[in-house]
Amino acid sequence: MTSSTLTGPAAPAAPVRHRPVGRALQGWLYATPTAAFVGVLFVLPLLLVMLMSASRWPLLSGYQGWNLPANYSRAVSNRFFVDSVVFTVKYTVLATVLLIALGLGLALLVQESTRWKGLLRTAFLVPSALGLASASLLFYVLYSPFAGPFAPIMERMGATFLGTPDAALWSTLFLIVWRYAGFYMLLMLVGLQAVPADVYEAARIDGAGRWQTFRHITLPLLRPTLALCTVLCVTGSLLAFEQFYILTKGGPDNSTISVVQLIYTVAFQGQNDLGVAAALSVLVLGVLVLVNVLQIRAFSRPEER
Amino acid sequence: MTAQLSRAAASASPSRSTGRAPATSVAGLVLRTPYWVFTGGLAVIFLYPLVWTAVASVSPHPGTSQVDGWGFGNYRALADYQAGIWQYLANSAFVSLLTVALTLVVSTLGGYAFARFSFPGRDALFLVTLAILMVPYATLLIPLYVLLTQVGLQNSLVGLALVLTMFQLPFSTFMMRISFEAVPRELDEAAMVDGCSTFTALRRVLLPAVKPGLITVGLFAFLAAWNDFMAPLILINDSDRMTLPLAVSNLRGQVQGVVDYGATEAGVVVLALPCIVLFLLLQRHYVRGFMSGALKG
Amino acid sequence: MALTGFRSLLAAAAVAAMLAVAACGGGGGASGGGDATAAGPNGVDDGTTLTLWTRAPLEKQAKLLVEAYNATHQNTVELTVTPNDDYVAKVGAAAGAGGLPDLFAADIVYVPNWVQQGLFQDISDSIDGLPFKDAINAGHLAAGTYEGRAHVLPFVLDLSMLFWNKDLFREAGLDPEKPPATLEEYAAAAKAIQALGKPDTYGTATGLNCGGCLVFTWFPSIWAAGEQVMTPDGTQSLLASPTARQVYDTWRDLWQSGAVLPSSRDEAGPTWTAGFTEGKVGLMFYPATLLSSTQGFEVGVAGIPGPNGGSSTFVGGDGIGISKDSEKAPQAWNFLSWLMSEEAQVEVLGKNLDVVSRSDLADNKYAVSDPRLVTINEVAAAGETPVAINFQQAFNATNSPWLTLVRDAVLGTGADLDKNNDEITAVLSQQ
Repeated sequence: MTSSTLTGPAAPAAPVRHRPVGRALQGWLYATPTAAFVGVLFVLPLLLVMLMSASRWPLLSGYQGWNLPANYSRAVSNRFFVDSVVFTVKYTVLATVLLIALGLGLALLVQESTRWKGLLRTAFLVPSALGLASASLLFYVLYSPFAGPFAPIMERMGATFLGTPDAALWSTLFLIVWRYAGFYMLLMLVGLQAVPADVYEAARIDGAGRWQTFRHITLPLLRPTLALCTVLCVTGSLLAFEQFYILTKGGPDNSTISVVQLIYTVAFQGQNDLGVAAALSVLVLGVLVLVNVLQIRAFSRPEER
Repeated sequence: MTAQLSRAAASASPSRSTGRAPATSVAGLVLRTPYWVFTGGLAVIFLYPLVWTAVASVSPHPGTSQVDGWGFGNYRALADYQAGIWQYLANSAFVSLLTVALTLVVSTLGGYAFARFSFPGRDALFLVTLAILMVPYATLLIPLYVLLTQVGLQNSLVGLALVLTMFQLPFSTFMMRISFEAVPRELDEAAMVDGCSTFTALRRVLLPAVKPGLITVGLFAFLAAWNDFMAPLILINDSDRMTLPLAVSNLRGQVQGVVDYGATEAGVVVLALPCIVLFLLLQRHYVRGFMSGALKG
Repeated sequence: MALTGFRSLLAAAAVAAMLAVAACGGGGGASGGGDATAAGPNGVDDGTTLTLWTRAPLEKQAKLLVEAYNATHQNTVELTVTPNDDYVAKVGAAAGAGGLPDLFAADIVYVPNWVQQGLFQDISDSIDGLPFKDAINAGHLAAGTYEGRAHVLPFVLDLSMLFWNKDLFREAGLDPEKPPATLEEYAAAAKAIQALGKPDTYGTATGLNCGGCLVFTWFPSIWAAGEQVMTPDGTQSLLASPTARQVYDTWRDLWQSGAVLPSSRDEAGPTWTAGFTEGKVGLMFYPATLLSSTQGFEVGVAGIPGPNGGSSTFVGGDGIGISKDSEKAPQAWNFLSWLMSEEAQVEVLGKNLDVVSRSDLADNKYAVSDPRLVTINEVAAAGETPVAINFQQAFNATNSPWLTLVRDAVLGTGADLDKNNDEITAVLSQQ
């Protein structure tokens, strides 16, 4: 269902019935505001980013002439480039596995309709009403060795939430899980509801156990939902920025520099080189398009057969 | 609101219970104790950070505006900051509501076009719209600044709303497209056989049918615009046009080497409160938004 | 077919993008509108509205100055404050599009770079017209001077000083009136206070994950020994010298002895002064602008000592100038010349217990009432402001090689000192 719509082109075009040319014209008319927004506020700036990536473009003095491959080679040879790619991939894998497993677990926990489970659902969902920046600020205080509720414990144990590379990574992951677990739980709930009830009925009559039912019926039928969740989670995690910008600033010892954090640093905190930052952004865009195409293919092929 | 959510969930679930009968007997209740503890514990983990922040914002802490006893000192500091909290709230509300309005109009028309019409460039436009999700946010803001300056919309709340609307389009267009696709085609075709134009069919027949989608799109646009930090930071110059997240961020770092945790807590509460209230009020539709879900993050 | 429409849209967009670039590109020139001195030595006060940007940590001083100016002039200055960490992004976006305010302040260590990139107008002639020119803080003036032309005046000075908590000194049996004269004595005092074993109280504190804090508080120890941290042209790092090693070793020993506030290890800057301000730290190198925020205990102030004596300070803070985009230079100069006047320096900054930017006003009536201010003003004259084009990237940035060097030398093995120092040089010498 949803994943095939996500790809757009897969959806069959509406059969044209009345005055085809007129319909096409009307279609464009309705799509004009979208096209205007996307064209002027997205495509145009994106082209400018591509232009930046091909030019010498210091943040503070603007366009200084072409230098095509240089920005890309400088982007790739930045001393944090490899580290940031490795870290971002690691973070993405961890975040995706955690969020999808937890989302599914929570969904199974609350899928029946009782008052208590309704309350649980709301509790899991409330954090997702916060903006990511607000949530990061909230955890900034919560993790603080001065004002946080765990300050005395931290002091006794001589450890802090953001002090070591591993602690910083897991503390950030906890924030992300807290903020997004409810979101993925809902996606899973919706997917679970789309599974026809008589399939379960049949499995029960056949004497399938709870685990067998889950493994052989629920999971395969959840495939489209899992695909959507994975695409969303991977895209979001590969672009992770705010949580690191507010909580860790890439530290300690440069251990939590995500790729977008690196872009921000190159642009605004030191090098102030928009050309290199734009080159990195174009690389990220290319990778994301590729990853998404691959993911959608991997998940949708069996369905089409 | 919870009941409504439950009803939505109930439509498919009761008949396919996996064999777990509702615990009615006393023995059942006792057996279920670990379950209560476990789920209750989970709920506490999810609610604790919010509750703690709300409590901490009114409790005393050295180095904040609430040093002695409980009270609203941190909120007073926030209220009196620069142009005053009401100005920032008004700015944030204006930007958020304008973003909601623009997003609704653009994505309704766009979703209608994508769902019901076939025109050259349709799939390309849809894909490009979705690609907005794949570009690092911070990099787009500099060219946007240049662009808005050219047309005189930089340092303007309207320009800010335009940019925020653009960032909402992938989700909202996607959402409206599948909302329209879920409506049986016969409905608008019947209207057009009766002589309605496509626009009248949209307004009279289709809009009521996609109302849940509209509410979801509006809610998401509001949440995103209300909470955004980077776009107003880069695009707004005058301090009396700043939005609330910026003011909170300024307030917490006023003294070198000291973070005003009290102001941060109060700021998070003021930022989060409208979102949580709105979320609880519209929970049913919010939930529906995830059925098609596509959200940055 | 389907793609043609999209392609023509792309082509149209590309043309428009080129136009946008042509209209705004090449904004590097430092020539705004109007000559600052055209209308006399004090500029023009004709009811113009001026815009001024600064960062949040200086908001208090900026606000006092702007309010005092607006109350006594026809011109109106509108102040915009930006969170500290996001200031460069904001200025950068505006600079590229020609949208800088009339006046803006910058962390003095960024000033050489920003001046070289042409963000500020040349105000040499106006500064030359000031009768007290030689009394203006030389470090700040030098940072804003490029190819012999001055572009920046001191806005707010911030000095790193040795602050000690006299109450804790007394408890530890140390002489509360006698500051440590060498880094060695400093360490001994910190350990003595730590030895009190008071809960929640530590000998000293610093920001071991904060490049800016470490530059601000540790460079002076090297200067106090009569040495330098970089070559004069700011392209080569000298931070692996024997004196520098002595500084790292002292801190390493302090850290290992447990006399340093534990959260110092991860401190990235936002709360690096909090421990001392709350009275929980015995002595520390601390920003002088925060003198008025230490309340509830007695505080002594002295220059920062070197390994074997001497004293120095980092003359930090913000410089201010007229932006390249301002078309109101004569009016903006009116604010700057007032900023340098006795009225602003003494009655606004001095009254607020801040350091004045003019040495001839060092012993003003407010300073005289507090001997600590006199000390600060005296040390200010002997302090230094390092100048390097790539200073931010080499030292202040969160991923700077300087931070790597310090963390290795103090928390790690220290084996990579030379390699890390070379890395700083590599960044400093970038074109």
